[in-house]
Amino acid sequence: MSEEIVRAEGLKKTFLLSKKQQKIEKTGETRRIAVNGLSFSAYRGEIYGLLGPNGAGKTTTLRMLSTLIRPDAGDAFICGHSVVKEPAKVRDEIGFMTSELKLEGFFTPDYLFDFFGAMHGVDKNTLQQRKRDLFSKFGIDKFAEVQVKNLSTGMLQKVSLVISIVHDPTVVIFDEPTNGLDVLTAKVVTDFLAELKAMGKSILLSTHIFSLVEKLCDRVGIIFDGKMAAEGPLEEIAKGDLEKSFFDLYYSIKGEMV
Amino acid sequence: MKLLALIKKEFHRFFHDPRLIITMLLPGIVIFLLYTVMGEAIHAEPSTYDYKVYVQGEAPAVTSLIEAVVKESKNTVEWLPLEDMDTAKKQVEEGEKTAILTFTENFEELPENSAVSIVYDPMDEAGSEFYAATVAVLERIGMKFSIHSEPLASEEHIGREIMQQILPFIIVCFVFSACMSVTLESVAGEKERGTLSTILVTSAKRSHIALGKIIPLACFSMLGALSSFLGVVLSMPKLMGLSVGMLGGYGFGTYVLLFLLIISFVPLIVALISTISTAARSVKEASAYTSVLMIFVMVLSLVTAFLPAIGNWAVAIPVLNAVVFMQQLLAGALPVWQALVSVGANLLYTAALVLAMTKMLSSEKIMFGK
Repeated sequence: MSEEIVRAEGLKKTFLLSKKQQKIEKTGETRRIAVNGLSFSAYRGEIYGLLGPNGAGKTTTLRMLSTLIRPDAGDAFICGHSVVKEPAKVRDEIGFMTSELKLEGFFTPDYLFDFFGAMHGVDKNTLQQRKRDLFSKFGIDKFAEVQVKNLSTGMLQKVSLVISIVHDPTVVIFDEPTNGLDVLTAKVVTDFLAELKAMGKSILLSTHIFSLVEKLCDRVGIIFDGKMAAEGPLEEIAKGDLEKSFFDLYYSIKGEMV
Repeated sequence: MKLLALIKKEFHRFFHDPRLIITMLLPGIVIFLLYTVMGEAIHAEPSTYDYKVYVQGEAPAVTSLIEAVVKESKNTVEWLPLEDMDTAKKQVEEGEKTAILTFTENFEELPENSAVSIVYDPMDEAGSEFYAATVAVLERIGMKFSIHSEPLASEEHIGREIMQQILPFIIVCFVFSACMSVTLESVAGEKERGTLSTILVTSAKRSHIALGKIIPLACFSMLGALSSFLGVVLSMPKLMGLSVGMLGGYGFGTYVLLFLLIISFVPLIVALISTISTAARSVKEASAYTSVLMIFVMVLSLVTAFLPAIGNWAVAIPVLNAVVFMQQLLAGALPVWQALVSVGANLLYTAALVLAMTKMLSSEKIMFGK
């Protein structure tokens, strides 16, 4: 087995429920468990997919791995660095893209690429070379001097993707990378993920699109209600039909819960 | 390097957006124009004056000449015999009479020993006009004599009193609004739009992110504050009907200390608004908190401006120290230790606020709490 790059150990995260939310959900509970003791590993040069319905805890897990939020319990290690104890070191190793993180509309892709390169301490020559390569690959070069606020949704997603990997990170974490994209842009993104994998990068992505997982992922973790329901190599989990396996698992767990 | 990149980004944002620069400089220009126009309107020359002037001593040729000059300007003059100098001075001070002219004995016969004294109130338009007309006549006569003018209150003294009371309050208000206009949008705006989170995912230190906001924002605010400050200082004499040359009454050191105060006061206010903006969930919420703070600061600076001497303890209180500092500075009575302690205290508070903002940027509840 290849080198372990990401290891999550019993990650747990709860959020406070507002009075309003408690009323809506007709519950007396003051906290909501978003992620409950999640453990998994991802290895160098593979794509790991977190699959689950909305509200399952996928995004919360990725936010913990990217050090935006701290786990209430458990820990995760990226390239051996703890997300709890060494968040700055973890941030240098990862590239994180999510719809939650926005780019300032006033600036151009060219300026933002340079700015985020400097934020990650990338030297100027390397930065310029990467900018040429990535802008050309994604067709951003023609829009390099257009203010971000004037870009189309697809181009904006491409710019966000390129900026998230400006520092050539070891681990790439993408939250719903093809959401809201047209088929052409989605294909550019999925092809690039495959390319990153070929370059030896470790990729973690969250999605609820079965075809994306089947096409790209080496390993998959299925999450329901913040718990890992199944985890392992794609072939073992999918058993020939990922969608069927997913729903079988879903109904078996929900059935048990009811 | 990362701090430099953060600072450069804010500068790029500011200097590539003409609207931001105009917003920052416009208040100073508007204040200058408004106050100047108001001053011109208030102190516009009225068409006629009826001068009532006490005269002591004989100088019929001179008084006739003054009468003739005054008539040319469609004014009238009534000469009154002086009986009691103190009573007369009081009447001039209260505006009942225009001036007191005192000629030495045999004024017109003995030109080499001749002297005339004029008592008038420079704050009274009629008094100033009459003084100017009289001096012009005396100078035109060509005989040798000396003029002793005795303004009842010195223009510089009056100017200082006005500046001392009003200027600190106006400066504090303009500094605060200049800081508010750029900081709210840059900090609370970025947090609300999610662009601040994108920077938080990088390995830049939280303290650098805080400083990367506060340093450039303080520079822009300083620009706005200086524009407003210059607008007020240059137009205030016009508004009060005083000469702009009165500003020269303050020494170079006064202006250096005043600049030093602004240097220390602006980052403090920017850091305060930045911290509030970081804690707030939206620009709207940050504006609401900051407006309350602004009212508090305005009331504090206004009350302080009209309070009698405050103890030395005031140097340790932000805003209060700024107002007291400015008052004493303009009165020419500020001990240097007090100035340095005030500046030091402001810088210390700024450092504390930078630390607070750094903590907030690291706080998941504040940055990502719904």
